[in-house]
Amino acid sequence: MNRERALPGYLAGAAVVGASTLMAWIVFGRVELTDVTMLLLLGVVVVAMRFGYGPSLLAAALSVVAFDFFFVRPYWSFAVSDPRHIVTFAVMFLVAVVISHLTKRIRDHAEHARERERRTASLYALSRDVGALQSTKPLLEAAARHVREVFGGVKVAFLMPRHDDRDALEVVYADDGTFIANDTDLGVADWVWVNERSAGAGTATLPTSRAMILPLKGAGARVAVLALFPSESAMLGTAEERQLLETFAGLIGSALERILLADEARGARLRMETEQLRNALLSSVSHDLKTPLAVVTGATSALLEEGAPKDEVTRRELIQTAHEEAQRLNRLVRNLLDMTRLEAGALKVNKNLESLEEVVGSALNRMEDRLRGRDVKATIPVDLPLVALDAALVEQVLINLLENATKYTPEGSPIDIEAKEKDGEVEVDVADRGPGVSAADVDRIFEKFYRAHEREGGGVGLGLTICRGVVTAHGGRIWVDARPGGGAVFHFALPLPSEGEAYPSLPTESEHPG
Amino acid sequence: MSETKPTVLVVEDEEQMRKFVRLSLTANGYRALEAKTGSEGVAQAVAHTPDLVLLDLGLPDMNGLQVVEKLREWNTVPVIIISARGQEESKVEALDAGADDYLTKPFGAAELMARIRVALRHAARARDVPSTVVNIGDEIRVDLVRRLVFLGEEEVHLTQTQYKLLTVLVKHAGMVMTHRHLLEQVWGPGHAHQMQYLRVYMTQLRHKLEKDPARPLYFLTETGVGYRLKVEA
Repeated sequence: MNRERALPGYLAGAAVVGASTLMAWIVFGRVELTDVTMLLLLGVVVVAMRFGYGPSLLAAALSVVAFDFFFVRPYWSFAVSDPRHIVTFAVMFLVAVVISHLTKRIRDHAEHARERERRTASLYALSRDVGALQSTKPLLEAAARHVREVFGGVKVAFLMPRHDDRDALEVVYADDGTFIANDTDLGVADWVWVNERSAGAGTATLPTSRAMILPLKGAGARVAVLALFPSESAMLGTAEERQLLETFAGLIGSALERILLADEARGARLRMETEQLRNALLSSVSHDLKTPLAVVTGATSALLEEGAPKDEVTRRELIQTAHEEAQRLNRLVRNLLDMTRLEAGALKVNKNLESLEEVVGSALNRMEDRLRGRDVKATIPVDLPLVALDAALVEQVLINLLENATKYTPEGSPIDIEAKEKDGEVEVDVADRGPGVSAADVDRIFEKFYRAHEREGGGVGLGLTICRGVVTAHGGRIWVDARPGGGAVFHFALPLPSEGEAYPSLPTESEHPG
Repeated sequence: MSETKPTVLVVEDEEQMRKFVRLSLTANGYRALEAKTGSEGVAQAVAHTPDLVLLDLGLPDMNGLQVVEKLREWNTVPVIIISARGQEESKVEALDAGADDYLTKPFGAAELMARIRVALRHAARARDVPSTVVNIGDEIRVDLVRRLVFLGEEEVHLTQTQYKLLTVLVKHAGMVMTHRHLLEQVWGPGHAHQMQYLRVYMTQLRHKLEKDPARPLYFLTETGVGYRLKVEA
């Protein structure tokens, strides 16, 4: 890294030699000549460690010269009186050079290790970031951020095939200053996509392009194209950088492929579930619609046909039966309609501040006929705050719960409705004295088409699913548990609006009309 | 009711539905006129000046709101909307635009006749001298002249706003009143959106006048639409 710091390094090297020579000069005379060489060699070591290979070679040469000039007789002269000193010079120079070499190698190793560590860290960071992401856009953003960080200053763009045409690419992510409209580099990207090989700046193919463009592949197939726009500070020239880039490309490619495959699997599962649902719905619906239709057809034709019963009681009974079954058909169709709207996401929750007392009252009013003969009690505190809800939908929830209660509990058994404020929610309970819900059913009872009791009078198994859909759409919860003393309690809780909203301030009035 | 049979115009595109309504009407002593489309309906209304219009919301050529607006341009004939599930919004629009009441399919003949009776009575009352004392069920008595309200023998004290709300409901007894109409008539045109006021005062009225406010017999909630005062229990 700092090997290019040329001149200052050499000057510093010379200075260090000067310093070691001075130290040697101070102790000279009190120590052996070999100690002097050691001190000078120490200087070389310092230079090699701090200032690199070149300066250390200079320091080696200077040390030998200094040794000759200051410490070998005759002093203050380059002349040598004792030829044995020539050997000393040679050995000293050799040792200095070897030290320089060794130090350089240690430094190079350390630098490599640092570089590897940096690369590993960046790869780790990239793989950690992209591994956790579940959708394309954040993945590309994270990948681009990492590429920019590691290859400082480079600008990034990603291209992916269009949904409708696998062969046409579109830019799905682009930093500022990358692609412009009708960019010729887009042609290079197309080439890369088709040939699955890198091209553009810094490669053998189309090197005049502004961008270096790499294919991103997963384990299976090509998934995208990465375009890098080098800047002054990041040329992407070195082999290590290229190698790191390839690794990056591989990682991003795999992560993208993982997300694309997951999307595909999700889509396939959804299609399968929709298909299954449609089939189940069809068979369930045709069965459930057939019964009441058969009764209506049968009863009315009995009245129309020749030899129809003449007595008023029988006729009335037939008409009554047809009417009841027609009403049942109406309920089935209503539930199916609600369910399809829920499924299609077409259910609009039109929330207003509503009084639960009214919603309960309206539901009970609409259920009047079917609740006849039952003791129905509604307990709603006078000071219960208004709740933000879609009255029509929540009324339907109550109606479905009440219908369930009438269907699955003995005729004439009581039903209790209670509403209460509790921990920032309003909870509504519908409790019956029926057979209750078995532990196995508690979790499944809200599932589509699930029927706890297969028996006459049951619906399609959608009523509670609709309840759950509506309550969830309100940000609430719905659940069922056993009622102390026998029976089942269905609860649903809706969040209360924030303080102040729920209690409208009204002008105070005296109680005197006129 | 006068000697001549009241005429009801049925605007409905489905033949079986028209047939059912026509049969129910004639069986109950009304004369039935029929129209298959909105424009035909408006034309018939001009030509025959019916006493009441039954208007289906799912017409092929116009939506219910347009028909109501066209009718209201020149007359005040009572209009009862026939709506299906899923048409809640257009139902409220048509009511706000001047339709008098609504029925949701499927409905029975008895329900149909009750609605028609109330609407015709209301139209007749608007022409005559208003009544001075109104009974709600057997229990509640509203003396509109002395401005007093009784529950059984006992006088009930209402605030000014509660009383105003009650009188507006009484004036339209048996018919649905949309939130907007109630707010405008009780609080004035500027308050059409302060629905929670209305909810609170309705609740107060129920608590003062109903035996079981959670299961009201008279002050009924028409979810998503408004309120209806039922005078006969």
